[in-house]
Amino acid sequence: MANHSASHPAHVQHHFVDSDQQFDSAKLGMWVFLVNEILFFGGLFCAYIIFRAWYPELFTQAALQLDKVWGGVNTIVLIGSSLTVAMAIRSAQRNEIKGLRINLMITILLACVFLVIKYFEYEHKLHLGIAPGFFWNPAPEVTATLDHPQANIFFSIYYMMTGIHGLHVLVGIGLMIWLYIRAGKGHFSAEYYTPVEITGLYWHLVDLIWIFLFPLLYLIE
Amino acid sequence: MAITEAKKMTTLQVKRFKPSENPTNTFLTDEKGVWAWMTTVDHKKIGIMYLVAVAFFFALAGFLAIALRTELWTPAKTFIEADTYNQLFTLHGAMMVFFVLVPSIPAALGNFILPMQLGAKDVAFPRLNLASLYIYVAGAIFTFAALASGGFDTGWTFYTPYSSDGNGAGVIWVTLGVFILGFSSILTGTNFITTIHKLRAPGITWDRLPLNIWALYATSIIQVLATPVLAITILLLSFENIMDIGIFDPALGGDPVLFQHFFWFYSHPAVYIMIVPGFGIISEVISTFSKKTVFGYWAIALSSLAIAFIGFLVWGHHMFTSGQSAVATTVFSFLTFLVGIPTGIKIFNWIATLYRGSIDMKTPMLYVFIFLFLFSIGGFTGIMLGALSVDIHLHDTYYVVAHFHYVMMGGTLIALLAGLHYWWPKMTGKMYNEKLAQISAVLIFIGFNMTFLPQFIMGAQGMPRRYYNYIDQFTPFHQTSTIGSYILGVAFLIILYYLVKSLFSGEKAPSNPWNSRGLEWQSTSPPDFHNFDHTPVVINGPYDYHKPMEEFQLGLAVSHEGHDAEHAPAEVDTTEEKA
Amino acid sequence: MSAQEHHGHHIASVKMLWSVGIGLTILTVLTVVVSSLGLPSPLDILSALAIALAKAFLVATFFMALKWEHRFNAVLLIGAVVFFLLMVGVTLLDTMYRIEVVPSF
Ligand code: HEM
Ligand SMILES: [Cu+2]
Repeated sequence: MANHSASHPAHVQHHFVDSDQQFDSAKLGMWVFLVNEILFFGGLFCAYIIFRAWYPELFTQAALQLDKVWGGVNTIVLIGSSLTVAMAIRSAQRNEIKGLRINLMITILLACVFLVIKYFEYEHKLHLGIAPGFFWNPAPEVTATLDHPQANIFFSIYYMMTGIHGLHVLVGIGLMIWLYIRAGKGHFSAEYYTPVEITGLYWHLVDLIWIFLFPLLYLIE
Repeated sequence: MAITEAKKMTTLQVKRFKPSENPTNTFLTDEKGVWAWMTTVDHKKIGIMYLVAVAFFFALAGFLAIALRTELWTPAKTFIEADTYNQLFTLHGAMMVFFVLVPSIPAALGNFILPMQLGAKDVAFPRLNLASLYIYVAGAIFTFAALASGGFDTGWTFYTPYSSDGNGAGVIWVTLGVFILGFSSILTGTNFITTIHKLRAPGITWDRLPLNIWALYATSIIQVLATPVLAITILLLSFENIMDIGIFDPALGGDPVLFQHFFWFYSHPAVYIMIVPGFGIISEVISTFSKKTVFGYWAIALSSLAIAFIGFLVWGHHMFTSGQSAVATTVFSFLTFLVGIPTGIKIFNWIATLYRGSIDMKTPMLYVFIFLFLFSIGGFTGIMLGALSVDIHLHDTYYVVAHFHYVMMGGTLIALLAGLHYWWPKMTGKMYNEKLAQISAVLIFIGFNMTFLPQFIMGAQGMPRRYYNYIDQFTPFHQTSTIGSYILGVAFLIILYYLVKSLFSGEKAPSNPWNSRGLEWQSTSPPDFHNFDHTPVVINGPYDYHKPMEEFQLGLAVSHEGHDAEHAPAEVDTTEEKA
Repeated sequence: MSAQEHHGHHIASVKMLWSVGIGLTILTVLTVVVSSLGLPSPLDILSALAIALAKAFLVATFFMALKWEHRFNAVLLIGAVVFFLLMVGVTLLDTMYRIEVVPSF
């Protein structure tokens, strides 16, 4: 750090002393951003907890409308994508650009699988009239088991939480496509892989959020 | 923190760099033209652009305030309709809070000063810094769109169900504007935290950080923790408006008080986002103009962090009459008293700093005294409002209005003026007219007290806030208040006049007009594009007025990079120091 | 010093990454199984949360490499969670002790 006569490689911006300082700063910045994300989702979790504490029977009834199996599959898909992103970082650190690209590609595919499954889940619910807000118009087979005056609120929370989470997945896919292209252009190496590393952090957080969403929304008996 | 330790153990070759009094090359001459400014990543230019934007919104919102006060000249309608009045006070409040006070000190002055006080060339993420400015502008555009689509009259607090009962597109636009603005605040906070952790010049250990940096650090932490909650609240509110999701709307089974919890979970900490950077400025100015080490460095530094923390636990004091449970109100009332403690600690330490200092009553110092007086009143009345039973009587009266103007205007804005006058020579390279500056400071003091002292009395007697008419007995108070606001208006015009004039015909500013020991003053006025043409090395605390000036002008003797090698410093003393 | 200079550049082994991935999968299956046991009221939520926390711990420690990071990054994560818990806890002080759940207007 104190060695100020180190040469200034091309990827180091002018206001940093060296590559390590830039790398550490980027990572710290990402962590601070993740703090933001946690409190952003925190608001939704807070609303969830308060309504669940008020209407426990509603949550038990409403969760029956969600499909545990597909939720579980999606959890495992996201875990897999977290694994491949970690592998991508490892490849970059070892200067294996081909491995980096392959791992990124698998991650992108898994993220897409997640969204496709999510799409079919939404589709199914919308079909039954389980829709947010004033589209709320449950079919008779739903109201047979779900008979609660606040039922719409559970699904508002469900749609907000999974919707915003899905949006984060979408952003993650975009970022990873960008990384994939840059990796193809030879921008990354063991010397410089900061964008891969911090996108990885972001992606793990998206996974973390889902790890809590899954039991809280799907697994209420 | 291993890196700092590694630094301590290395012997650095340092020499003295005395800042030139006649810089030929500054950040103002380096990149010229509108395009260069608009695409710059230089924290100094971005800070100045923020300052201009903030000043613009301050003028706009201030103009609205004058209109509101004029309407209140007579008990009945004076010249605007009740509905228009509701829209104007909402716009005034929302703009002053979100467009002026929240970004003012951190994004405008802080952006300029923070990297300089750290001896850094820029903030950690210069492009995000520029992005935050444009996001701010985008937020502003949304607010104007709200005006174009019918306006909004919910008050700056956007309480449901006022804001959710479908009263038009205006609310959606403005809340989305605030949502966007939040991101600009988050980016600034993220940038500052990273910069303070990673970009300190050699020798700037945590116990040598200027108190302004500690204050900005605490502020950034609050920004990062609180602003996302505002963002999600507004998103939920927007969906409430767009498609009736029912979380906040009582008609759909939701809970409007939950909205208030979410809103104040941001907005009470946000009042500290506004005031804590002001504390930082006060600490700097008070030490410089007393020529004395600040008393209780750690007490002031850590009380900022304590305020940041406790500030998250008191939000319910805005909801004493909302139907919140009695348990919660009692706890919130108790915790509210606790916030007074770290604030009081600061005031005592500042007073102790003044004690036996050689006090120089220049304009920035004048503002410090105004601050101490006004902010103390604001703080005390806050404690009174925090007392549960008292607040049941005073809630939603002019007493609250007076309280928050004493802290927000008497505190934050006065501190901003202190900082602006303090750093103006550094930022522009020009001196302003000291006599006019002092006159307007006094006018502000008089005008401010005329405007807001009567509001305490009216409020205690039961004058509710947010009304455009009132019963006759309040006429003298309202009229005094209105006259006071005109005096304030005139004072601000004078400030605008001499500051702008100084740009064109002001005396040239020396590099260190106040003989401060602060690192930011060891650059040229205005600073070089890279702030310093060397890497500064710090061996003393930021307020060590008992040490000679030379010891504050050290830099690495060996330049580690090619650029700027050609700007050789004017005077070079070669010394060797163990840093 | 040298150990510290490599902060944040720790290269994870394939074996470790895969074990964590498999561990997470097992925990996912476990939480589904436990949820279908129909445990009595507080136990069901507590078990689900405990498993979720264990998974979160694995992701943060190994995938996000907090184990090898500057400690401040972990402080940030824990701090964010603490402030979230404060928000929930203090809000519950109101919502759980109201006379009427949703005040009527
Ligand atoms: C000693 C510290 C403080 C205490 C104990 C305190 C206490 C309070 C209380 C209890 C209220 C609620 C009154 C009511 O609505 O009935 C209040 C309102 C307010 N305070 Fe403070 N306060 C303090 C400092 C500040 C500071 C530093 C600021 C801003 C820079 C501030 C800004 C506000 C604002 C804007 C409101 C009114 C919000 C609204 O309803 O529109 N306060 N304060
Ligand atoms: Cu407050």
